[in-house]
Amino acid sequence: MNMRCEDRERVFLDGTPEEWAALELHAASCPPCAEEMRAWQELSAAAKELRDDQENVALWPRIAVSLEAQREQIARREKRWAFWSLGWRWPLVWQTALAGALVLALSFAGIYFYVQHRQSGAAGNAANDPFLNDHALAEVQRTENAYMLAIDKLAAETKPQLDSASSPLMDNYREKLLVLDSAIEELRSEEGQNPSNAHLRYQLLAMYREKQGTLQEILESKP
Amino acid sequence: MGAVGFALTAGPGIAPSQRQGESRVQPSGMGSSSNAPSASAMTAANPEDLALAAACQRGDLQAYEQLYRLQGTRMKNLARHLLGTPSDAEDAVQETFLKVQRSIASFRGQSSFVTWTFRILVNTCHDMRRRRMRRKENVAQEGGAAPEPPEMRASGAHPSLRLALERAIATLTQHQRDVFLLYEVEGFRHAEIAGMLEITETASKNTLFYAKRSLRQLLAPPRGSQRGGAE
Repeated sequence: MNMRCEDRERVFLDGTPEEWAALELHAASCPPCAEEMRAWQELSAAAKELRDDQENVALWPRIAVSLEAQREQIARREKRWAFWSLGWRWPLVWQTALAGALVLALSFAGIYFYVQHRQSGAAGNAANDPFLNDHALAEVQRTENAYMLAIDKLAAETKPQLDSASSPLMDNYREKLLVLDSAIEELRSEEGQNPSNAHLRYQLLAMYREKQGTLQEILESKP
Repeated sequence: MGAVGFALTAGPGIAPSQRQGESRVQPSGMGSSSNAPSASAMTAANPEDLALAAACQRGDLQAYEQLYRLQGTRMKNLARHLLGTPSDAEDAVQETFLKVQRSIASFRGQSSFVTWTFRILVNTCHDMRRRRMRRKENVAQEGGAAPEPPEMRASGAHPSLRLALERAIATLTQHQRDVFLLYEVEGFRHAEIAGMLEITETASKNTLFYAKRSLRQLLAPPRGSQRGGAE
């Protein structure tokens, strides 16, 4: 292998042993290349001298203590996380089953609260409902019956006065009572068809109150 | 010790020897890293290396001690050259062991365990160096003393060639310094250096070449005193 000065750096960079041998042959007859080769190789030799193999006996104990401390710290952290990551160590089947159960539980809870809400909403609306429930209706009917009996008694007391007197005032009272009785009769027939209708009850009550007032006026007009 | 440039000994015979898997020419008498583990012990994942890594993964403190016994001196040596002081080097080695323990679970055996450990060491040294530079900049901004500039040229009157070489190495780029120290001082192969520094083997070879050429120029004797000096 024939070497020239120009090949020197290429050999320095990445020369094969054969190329180095050829460069050495060339350097034997080329002082500049011999000088460069010597300097190059002595740089490597000098670098080896930079090694300091003195050992600090205190270093390993110091490292060991810090490693032990860190190991304990890592163990504590892992223990803390172990509780939370427990599920992830379960087999996939169990994880799927757990997820399914959670979905079902949430669905049932949702349905339960929805139904509860609907029912409570219905109960709340009943208070504002124009139709009476059975219990309230029975109570109203009992009171009405007592009230009607009382008004009938009052009417029986005024009957002789109405029949005997022939003044225009009495005629008016008779006519008014006829109108009121006719209205009461009409409302009663409507109430029979729809007894839970609170509105009808209010109207009927107003008629009775008016009849009661008229009868009291007749009694008070008795000379 | 032979001097470089200004105190060259008579050129030793060229004794081409070959590191595992790559050509390398060493001056005769230098030996080949006899006090360091053989290069083959650090190539990608051999059984001993994997066993050591597995023991470390189990948290076995004795495995870390074994790693320290095998590589501790070398690690400290490299760290001292990268950081400058023995105390910083010891801190870097300790920090490296702690990092190895913290991230050992991520070691998959794709590279040698030792190579992986040295990669952590090199990165740790770079981090420490950066922190130190930042501190120095802050001190300088606050009116503190300016850092002492490194000596750029070794003179023939310099008391220590070793010091001259260390100072010359300090003037190299970070990359050149890493490669030079790993190859020439610590005796790693280019393949291993490539793994540690995450570069290609060719890049490692090129970087070493330019590092040595820079050092050669820095340590060259002044004109007229060639072949003088300590001879």
